[in-house]
Amino acid sequence: MKKITRRQRHRDIRHGILIRRGHHLRKHCGGVSSRQEERPISSINSWIDNYKKKHLNATIAKRKRITLHLPEEMNFCDNYEVTVLHILAIRKLSNSRKSGNKSYRLVSVNFDNLRTISTSAALVLTAELSKWDDAIRQQLKPMIDNWDAEILKQFIDLGFFELFRNSSLVYDKSEGSSPINLVKYIKGQCGDNSKPRVLKEKIIEIIGEKVCKWNFLHGGLTEAITNVSHHAYPNSHEFSKEDKNWYLTGSYNDATKELKIVFYDQGIGIPKSLPASDIWEKVLSVLSGISSVERKRDEVLLKAAVELERTSTKQSDRGKGLQDLLEFIRQRKDGYLSILSLKGLFKYSISNGKEEIKTEHFDQPVCGTLIIWSATLHE
Amino acid sequence: MKRISVGKDFSPDPAGRYRTDGEGSGEAFREDCLRPILDTGEKIEIVIDDGVEGYGSSFLVEGFAGLVKYGYITNEELLSRIEILYTDDDFEFYKIKIIEYIKQAKYSSQKYIGSSE
Repeated sequence: MKKITRRQRHRDIRHGILIRRGHHLRKHCGGVSSRQEERPISSINSWIDNYKKKHLNATIAKRKRITLHLPEEMNFCDNYEVTVLHILAIRKLSNSRKSGNKSYRLVSVNFDNLRTISTSAALVLTAELSKWDDAIRQQLKPMIDNWDAEILKQFIDLGFFELFRNSSLVYDKSEGSSPINLVKYIKGQCGDNSKPRVLKEKIIEIIGEKVCKWNFLHGGLTEAITNVSHHAYPNSHEFSKEDKNWYLTGSYNDATKELKIVFYDQGIGIPKSLPASDIWEKVLSVLSGISSVERKRDEVLLKAAVELERTSTKQSDRGKGLQDLLEFIRQRKDGYLSILSLKGLFKYSISNGKEEIKTEHFDQPVCGTLIIWSATLHE
Repeated sequence: MKRISVGKDFSPDPAGRYRTDGEGSGEAFREDCLRPILDTGEKIEIVIDDGVEGYGSSFLVEGFAGLVKYGYITNEELLSRIEILYTDDDFEFYKIKIIEYIKQAKYSSQKYIGSSE
């Protein structure tokens, strides 16, 4: 035993306070790389200032209190950058919430301008706000007075308001006349293998009949859940148990007959979970100084992960799971599968028997991995 | 000849590779259902569509091909001792996958260490 110095004692107390405030978790809580999350306060503030000049709609009040105003249109198809930018801002600001008075503080996310939102964007936004609400001990309170009626209906259907413990509002489910019927989101953790069955029941309730080839979608969903268990939240990133969630929902559009199923996790992303030692990755690493190659890294790795059955384990009998995701669309011979992970997009579509694969890279990342199945129900 | 219904005798939601992936994993199916019967020398009929919604490849690879990978039985012998049954035509896809994974497995290529150990 040794008596510690006064200086050491103060250091220990400061450390204890930081731990209790959750600073040990903040460095690694999901999606965006830890390098990005460990940015100093000034970087987070400058990131906000920088994007505020572009497409980020934020107002800053006294004591660096920020309100984010969601854009009119949120989706990952036609309005990707603006949609992701606002969701990313929520993540970054909620991560920096205990950085002291010098850092911007997120106090509100305003939905008043929002007029249309895709099922996938609604799910990701819900997941992000749920994460923020968990981080501040469920103190968020919805203020819906100026919300668009259709948006309100969508979020009621999605179960958005059930997130908030601090909510005493009464919602009229009959409001709005949107043709889009949403399934209340399902939140699961690693090993929740029975939950895709719940989704099937809810979809049948909406559509009124079984969906042809559903068993292949079910297989894809269970594989997505297994992938979350194995790859999305690795121990090396020190995710807390509460962070290791996945989210699932579905929607059916009465007018277009489009069925959409959306699965989302807030993990490290598929490109980051792949091995860096394969030859191709070595080439990429060598060429990483060339900006165009580096910029496309997530896009290329994502495509390779799906097409080459690669896996972070390098075992020959593994890495088939991403192929399982394609099977529902392949079997139906109509529709598309989109996988968005970090800055990459992989999209597989079939129309009139013709297959097409599209990849794309973006400037801003999705925080984790988003999988979207879309099929039109003709039967 | 023994008969196993995956949905009724094992789990209505078979999914995942290891026991650590939750209930109904391929590892649990292999070790708790298939291996004890195979050890007796009997043949097995396996009903794959009885109350089951579908399968992911992680379950199928670990549950079936794992028997070969861990050296319990050779590829040929396993294929001769199991019969995959279904009534839903969509499940033919999984029968084909099971046979494919068994054929691709490398006999005794890995030592089995339980995921929960």
